[in-house]
Formats: sequence, structure tokens, C-alpha cells
Amino acid sequence: MVKLDDIKKECKSILEEGKVKYIVGYKRNNNYYMSIPAFIEKIEETDQLIWDPTCVYNLVRFLRDEKLRKERQKTPDTRPIGVIVKGCDSRAINVLLQEKFIKRENVYIIGVACEKSGVIEKKKLRKKFNEKNIKQIEFGKDNNFIITTEKGKTTISAEEILAERCIECNNNTPVIYDVLLGEKVERSLSEHFRSLEKFESISTEEKWNFWKKELDKCIRCYACRSVCPMCYCDECIADSISLAVKPDTTAEEKAQKIRWVEKSPVSSENFSYHLIRALHLAGRCIDCGECERVCPVDIPLRYLNKKMEKEASEQFGYTAGLDPEKPALVSDFKDDDPQDFII
Amino acid sequence: MEEKFEPKIIAFLCKWCSSAGSDLAGVSRMKYPPNVVPITVMCSGSISPNYILSAFKDGADGVLVSGCHPGDCHYIKGNYYARRRITLVKELLEFIGIEPERFQMSWVSAAEGAKYTEIIKDFVKELEPLGPQNKLRSNL
Amino acid sequence: MRKRIGFFICHCGINIAGTVDVKKVSEGLSKYPGVVHSEDYIYMCSDPGQSRMVEAIKEKKLDKVVIACCSPTLHETTFRNAAKVAGINSFQCEIANVREQCSWVHKDMKKATAKAIKISKAAIERARLNESLEPISVPVTRRALVIGGGISGIQSALDLANSGYEVILVERSPSIGGHMIQLSETFPTLDCSQCIMTPKMVEVSKHPKIKLLTYSEIQEVAGYIGNFKVKILKKPTYVDPDKCTLCDECTKVCPVAVPNEFELGLTRRRAIYIPFPQAIPATYTLDINNCPGLFPIACGKCADVCEPGAIDFDMKPEILEEEVGSIIVSTGYDLYGKEEMAEYGYGKYEDVLDGLQFERLLSASGPTMGKILRPSDHKEPKEVVFIQCVGSRDPELHCAYCSKICCMYTAKHAMLYKHHVHDGQPYVFYIDIRSGGKDYEEFVQRAIEEDGVIYLRGKVSKIFQEGDKIKVWGVDTLSGKVIEIDADMVVLAMAMRPSEGASELAKKLKIALDKDGFLAEAHPKLRPVESLTSGMFLAGAAQAPKDIPEAVAQASGAAVKAVNILSQDRLYHSPTIATVNLTLCTGCGMCVDVCAYEAIKLEEGKAVVNEVLCEGCGTCSATCLRAAIKVKNITPLQVHEMIKVALGG
Ligand code: SF4
Ligand code: SF4
Ligand code: FES
Repeated sequence: MVKLDDIKKECKSILEEGKVKYIVGYKRNNNYYMSIPAFIEKIEETDQLIWDPTCVYNLVRFLRDEKLRKERQKTPDTRPIGVIVKGCDSRAINVLLQEKFIKRENVYIIGVACEKSGVIEKKKLRKKFNEKNIKQIEFGKDNNFIITTEKGKTTISAEEILAERCIECNNNTPVIYDVLLGEKVERSLSEHFRSLEKFESISTEEKWNFWKKELDKCIRCYACRSVCPMCYCDECIADSISLAVKPDTTAEEKAQKIRWVEKSPVSSENFSYHLIRALHLAGRCIDCGECERVCPVDIPLRYLNKKMEKEASEQFGYTAGLDPEKPALVSDFKDDDPQDFII
Repeated sequence: MEEKFEPKIIAFLCKWCSSAGSDLAGVSRMKYPPNVVPITVMCSGSISPNYILSAFKDGADGVLVSGCHPGDCHYIKGNYYARRRITLVKELLEFIGIEPERFQMSWVSAAEGAKYTEIIKDFVKELEPLGPQNKLRSNL
Repeated sequence: MRKRIGFFICHCGINIAGTVDVKKVSEGLSKYPGVVHSEDYIYMCSDPGQSRMVEAIKEKKLDKVVIACCSPTLHETTFRNAAKVAGINSFQCEIANVREQCSWVHKDMKKATAKAIKISKAAIERARLNESLEPISVPVTRRALVIGGGISGIQSALDLANSGYEVILVERSPSIGGHMIQLSETFPTLDCSQCIMTPKMVEVSKHPKIKLLTYSEIQEVAGYIGNFKVKILKKPTYVDPDKCTLCDECTKVCPVAVPNEFELGLTRRRAIYIPFPQAIPATYTLDINNCPGLFPIACGKCADVCEPGAIDFDMKPEILEEEVGSIIVSTGYDLYGKEEMAEYGYGKYEDVLDGLQFERLLSASGPTMGKILRPSDHKEPKEVVFIQCVGSRDPELHCAYCSKICCMYTAKHAMLYKHHVHDGQPYVFYIDIRSGGKDYEEFVQRAIEEDGVIYLRGKVSKIFQEGDKIKVWGVDTLSGKVIEIDADMVVLAMAMRPSEGASELAKKLKIALDKDGFLAEAHPKLRPVESLTSGMFLAGAAQAPKDIPEAVAQASGAAVKAVNILSQDRLYHSPTIATVNLTLCTGCGMCVDVCAYEAIKLEEGKAVVNEVLCEGCGTCSATCLRAAIKVKNITPLQVHEMIKVALGG
């Protein structure tokens, strides 16, 4: 089992050596059982670090902020920043490397293996406990979580409140890191695409009704986009205007600015937005589940991305974020890619 | 009398094979229903998923993407990339409950005027019972 | 400024007007935004038709025209030229195909007319956003580089030089001549290979337009069609060819003996050597890898005896930088090697030879002076087994492809053997005989009928040495009989494969390889001598196994392709190419990966399109997640607008 002390020790030592500018990790949120991101700059701050099943966030997102910050600074500190990553998060780093968004030397990767468990899913937790009573959740022995409430400690099997994505995860150990904490272990609970099974048996109309109901809820707050480590474009195609305005651009042309998606949260535009998003994440989404977590109206966004992940894997043998040197899913092909549907 | 439903189809054709194939259908005076409006692009590889979504949003009842057969792309490999990209679009549209019949892809060579004719005929026939496509149609 | 668009619809006699109500279309479009002139005419492509268009452009000050007529493949150029005559940019003319894609395929006039209107509107929308463009032009360096000095490279170089272009011919070994100069006689005419090859080699060395660089290798290639920059490493030979008199004194004192490459190891050579007497350039080479050492000088005997003082231990490797407009790659083949064919005793038994070794035995200038003698005991072999398809056509273990020339040279070997050893018996094991080619079938028949070669259909199952015989066991699948031959010699028709180092070279040139490692042609049928990289062409066995006439023909073809480029002062290129919106581009490089023409590079984190290499296919634009790259005059915005009106919106 990963020892918090090991994490702290590693962080202390890289700060001491001046290897990194700061470290993004997890810390306790005062009176709440969930962790929050921590930005550790000083050695003494490393004591704030925690490692528990509430470390759900994908901290790779902060690499983008760091990059932007550095671009604005005149004389930026070019040292890398340290990031604590789980298996899934580490693949996000690989995608960013593949897309040359970051350079390997800009990040010091502290990989933490999930070993046989993972992180919690609040939705599941809420069904079993009154959130308000929970004080803390910790990793227990034998694949259990220990939940501390006012009444004391309860031990429950991790699987009961484990995030669906953890159950479906194939990369419980980070795939890229400077240091790996915890052990590489095979896990038994991987059922890679199990959440999609329920869609297989339902009719086209049922699928439509499901998605219509879900996507109609979208208020286009773009929280999903803001939290996604892959959504780093300066200008998203969803607000896009791919018309470069030149001196001779006419008013007529400007009026015709290309809009693949309109801003209004109506059904057709919500569908456009989410379909484009899913397509843009095909071969890039690493299933960290952040978009679904932050959605204020609880749209099960993971399914869309998971569907793309499944096709990429089953039809093209491609998994996002495994190898930064290889071409991306859609910038590669095999002569014998399946084509049964093509007339 | 209620007017018969006439499905509207947009066909994205690559210039070198599929558009040439549809030209051949014309030269051979083959007949197919006028429900399809072709848009000729340079290569099937240039067909962005955005085009397809746009077409549905603008009220297409069906969309066809057509290119050269594998190995025959004028630009060597554009159609292989198209195949991957379009597969993903196809899977996604079906996943959210768009009738699979509404989105099709074909390989039509410059010599396959007859094939193009058949594809359009069948396409129209398959779309007729479905009625208008309103799911993705713009409701702005 | 608001666009002034002119619309014209052609009746094409009744070809269009018979099904499409052209008046209605023209009238309908006259009210379409931007259209200030709309008319129909019986034959737009006729002179009067074109004149009407030209007049209208001038009179109504049109800045764009759309002609609804037949397929753009027929008259787009006609109308674009006319538009130019009228003083507008040719790209301001768009065609709406209302014949092949409309009138000819429909019957119902009302519906066809409605469709014609949609097609026309789509063309107008496209035209509305078309940019005025001029063809891109780049200067051409009017010299060529030929890589590989075998028969193909020699042929290409001579053809180019005789057409008046300067050629740099680079060969990595000390002499040109390739494998052909090793051959004895060539099928099906049995002319002596050296006799037909040496004059060509000499011509190369004497040609004022050919710069021959032997013992040289390509280090780096940059640039693009018409403008390649090449770095060539010239390795030191330590012998000044101008001073060397070919007296051969040096080899007499050199203490080193290593397998002779030219004789395929059947003899040995010195560390200082001439590959073969007719080598071009005619000079000696000191092989530093086998010399006991120059730094410091370990032996130095050769220099001591060299009277003219041709040996220069201070010679240094040189890097030459050359600029060329076109490159021909003719790096040839190697035979499948020892390691792979151990199952046939190759490399294990001295009297099991490969086809090229047997050529040397047959050659009058070879190690046995043209006598067929066994390497082991110098006895004349009386029974010789030739085995075809060794390593070829064996997808499980070796190469899946057919090496193409083995059937013919095996027949030749068996025949020539019989000419040398009248009382000998040649046997040939074969899968089937492929003798397509002028006089080839007759040649094989002659071997069977006149020279008594025994052909056995089947594969050899086992080869082993027993005493001084090589036992060959196999099955004749025609008679079903088990065959056992006590052979004196076995000759293996080894598969051909791309020459060593071809794949590294291909990487430097950015030429694609096929699944077998041969250089990939741009199109298997229509562009067999072009590579996928524009300006680079393929010749000879580097592209696929082939015989001499085919290699020569392809080499000449490649030369003509190169002349296509070199004969122009400038190259002109369609301007409808990709451009990058630098604000949107994040430098992910996905477009770089998909471009079949290597037209995109990342520079300082942004995609940059090479205007000459881009063919305008648009694959990059559909791949780019940020819509940061688009092809001029068929941009996403244009397509977006076309979709809208095509759906009647
Ligand atoms: S794919 Fe788009 S964003 Fe990526 S490098 Fe090319 S133009 Fe730039
Ligand atoms: S348009 Fe085609 S040829 Fe041009 S850069 Fe893009 S992918 Fe390459
Ligand atoms: S040109 Fe037809 S698919 Fe590429």
C-alpha cells in the first residue's frame, strides 16, 4: 500500500533539491471529507499532503495554467512543476506530450499507483451514507475503505463506493513518471466497458430518449470543458469563428463567421456541442471522469467519451495516452481497419 | 392529399472518384431520385465531422460520405483517415439514438456510376419510412 | 464591398433544358443575394456563349461568375480562362454541375429544377468566399542526383546527361557496376554481361555532365522538389586516382587477406585492392576497416612500394554539399543471406552456392577462369542441383513475394553449366516456371529440350553432406516420386531483397517503403516510377525485383520524369493549398502526421505548410481539432454555407 509518508518524503526531497518550482498534490479541505488540490511551494507545506480515496481530481489540468502563466511572464522560472498523478492522470500527461502541448522536462511526475483500489464516486457514497456525517475516508487493508463518521469507523469493501471509472480502469499504475510510489499490481476488477453494456440492448428510440433527456439539461456552463486536461485550446471550436479577419474582410463575411455550434442552450446546439466534444476527445480522453464530476446538472458525460474509447480500442486497437511517440488515433490508420458499414 | 415525404440528402463526394462516378451515372443516363444534392470536396479525407453534424442540423434527413476505394485515393491515403474518422462519427450518432440508416459511407470509384445510382436509390428508400430527421435539426 | 455575382445557366441544347426549367432557375437566382446578372443561354461553352459571359463581366462589373452547366471536369478550365480574359481572377469562376449530377439523372422537371437551384446556390456560396489566387511558382535547380551506380543508376545518369543535364551519381562502393557487372552471360540472349556493361561504365566516367562520386554515401537530404539540398559523405580511399597507375605492386605486399566481395567470398582480396579489373573509377582503394591501421601506421608497406606515390594516408573524409532539382533512387538489391537459409546448408557446405556465386564460376574472368569447379576440391561437378524459390514465395518463413528473375537465371545456369560440362546433369527443383517476357519461354524450353535439364516440380525437403556428395532429398509432386540426388554441387536461387541500408536511406529521403522493404511507388499502375515524395523517382530493383531490361526501362522512365522537372525554369503549382491560422494552431502536429506529402512542418510550435509540396487534399483540415488549417477556396466556411443552401435553408 502507498504510504503517505513516502509521498511526503519524495516531495520534500525534490523541493529541497530545487528540482521543481512547486508541487500540485492533494490536501484536506478543512471540515469536509473530500480532498482539494494543494499547491506546495515550501518544504514545510508538504505536511499538508494527503493520499486517500477522495483524491479524485486530475491535477494534470494545472499544467495548462502553468504553461499559460509562463507564457505571460517575462523571465519565467523554467524549472518543472511536480504533479501527483494516478494511473489515469498519467495518461493525460502522455496525451499532452503527444500533442506537444507540454514538454517532458516541464513536469516532474510523481506517480502513485492505485494498486487494487481507486477513488470514490460521490453518487455511490451518497446512496449509502449521509454525506454530512462523514469526516474522513481512508484506504483500509484488503481492498477496503475505512469511513469515519461521528459515530466511529466503518469498513466497507472498496468496490461498493469505488468510482465506476476505477472499476473499468486498465491502468491502475501510472504509465509515465519520474518516481513511482506504491506497487504495480494486477487488479481483478477491471471490466473495461461495463458501463456501456446497458446501451447495447436498448433500441434507437430508447437511446435517443435517454440522451435527449440528459443533454436537454445542459446549461452550457462549459464546466466540463474547463476542467478537462485536453481542452487546452485558446479558442474552442464550440465558440468558434474560424474566419481570420483581414483588412479586406467585408462586413458580410464577418456576419457569416462560421459557427458550428450556437451558444444558446437549446437541444440542437447542446447535441452539437456534446457530439463535437466527444469526437474531439476520441483517442484523447483518458477517463479521469472530471467532466462528469463537475457537471452541475449531472449529465453522464462519461458514456459519450467511453463509447469513443471503446470503438478506438475495439476497432483500431488504440488506447489514449499510452505512447506519446505514436500518432494520435485519427492521424493514423491501418490498411485493414474495419469497414463493415461502408457500402 | 398529404404530400409524400421527400427525404433530403447531402452527399459529400470526393472529386476524383465518387464525384466522377456520379458524373458517369449521368453520362450513362442512369436514373435516381432527385433527393440528393452533391457537394464535391477534394478528398474524403477532407470531410470534417463538423460537415456531417452541420448537415443534420441544417435539416438533412440523410448524409452520405463517399470516397475512392481503399488504395485508390488520389491523395494516397486520405480515405484511410476518413474511414477512421467517419467510423467514429457513425458509432457516436448511433449511440445517441440517430437511426443508423441516416448516415452512410460508401466507396464509389470513377467507374461505378451504377453503384452510385443504386446507393442513392436505396438510401432514399431507407429514409422514406423514417420520416423527417428532427432530432438534430436546429431548433433555434 | 458587396460582391457582384453573375449567374449563367446553359441549356446544353436540350441536355439540361430538357429536364431543368432553365428560365425558372435563372429567374429564381436573379433575386438571390449578390447576384446582379442572371441569364440562360443555349450553349454557354460555345464562342458566343463565352462572349456573353465576358461581356456581362465587363458591362456589369461582375467580380464573380457562376456557370451552371456540365461537370467541371469538362469546362471549368474553359470558363476560367474566359473569366481571365474578361479581367477577373480565374478562381472567381465556379461551376455548378447541373447536367451529369442533375438533368441527366432525373426525369421529373419540377424536382430537377428545384435541385438545380440548390446546386447553383451552393456554387454561388462557394464563389462568394473564393479568394483570387495566382499559381505558385518556384525556381528549379537544373541538376539531378542519382543514388546507386548499378545498371539502373547508370542508365538514368546517362539518359539525363545526354539530355543535357548535370548529374551527380553517388555509389557507396569503390566502383560502379552493381550486380550486373558480376554476371556472366545474361538471359535470354546469352550476351556477356561485362561486354555490354563496361562501355556504359566508361561512358559514365568520361561524360562531361556526370560527376561521379564513388565510395560515397548520402548523409542528409533537405528541401523539396526542384530545390533539394544534399549532403554527401565522400569516404577516403587513401589512393589518389590521378597518380595510381594500376601497377598492382601494393597488393603484392599487403599482408591482409579478406573475403573478396566482388567474387562473393569465393576468393580473397587484400586490404588495398581494386574491386575488379574494369572497375570505374579505375583505381585502388585502401579499405581502412581491414587495414591493420593508419593512425598510427601499423604496416605502411603499400606506400613503400608505390612508385608514383599515389597512396596518401592523410586523406580525410569529405562532406560535399550539392543542390539538385530531382533525385533518382536506384539502390538495387541484395540476395537473401546465409543466416536465413541455413536449412539448405548454405554457408555450411562449401559446395552449396547462391546464384551470384555461380555467376562468378561461370564468368571467364571469375575465380576459376570460367571453369565450373567445386569450391571444396576444385573437381568438376557432374551432377548439379538448382533450387528455385529459395526464400521467395514462402510467407510463413521467408519472403511472400516472387523474386521474379530466378526462374530465368536458373534456366540459364543449368544451360550454361551443360555448355561447360557436357557429360554433366543439371536438375532444377521448381514450384512453377514463370517465364513471362520476350523470348523467355522459348529460352526455358531450350534448356529442357536441347540441353537436357531435368525439371522436377516440388520442394526440397533435406540437404546434407555425405562424403564428398551433397544429398538432396525432395519430392517430384508431378509423379509423386521421392527424389534422392547425390549431387556434387547445389545452387540456390535466393530471393532478392532491398539492398542493405536502403531503409535508412529511404528515411533520409522521406520515401515510403512497402511491406517488404522495397521503395514504394506512388501508384502501382499509373505512377510506377514516382515515389510518394515529389521530385524523387525510383529505378530498378530498389522498387521491386526485376530483370535487366525492366530495370533499364524504368531507369529511363525515371530519367524522363526527372527531365519533366529539370526542363523548366520554374515549377508552377496549384495555389489551392492549405494555410494555417496561427492563432488557432496549437502545434499538436496531427496534420503533420496525416499529410501524405510531408508538406507540413512544425516551426516554433506552429504548423507551416510548404506551398510546393501541398496538393490541397484537405486531409489535414479535417484532422485538425481546432479548424486551424484549411484549404483555400474549399474552406470549412464555404462548405458550411454550401450545406445550408443545398438543403434549401
Ligand atoms: S492539426 Fe491543427 S492545431 Fe495541430 S498542428 Fe496542425 S494546424 Fe496546428
Ligand atoms: S491539404 Fe493535403 S497535401 Fe496539403 S498540407 Fe493538408 S494534408 Fe498535406
Ligand atoms: S481523392 Fe477520393 S478519397 Fe481521396
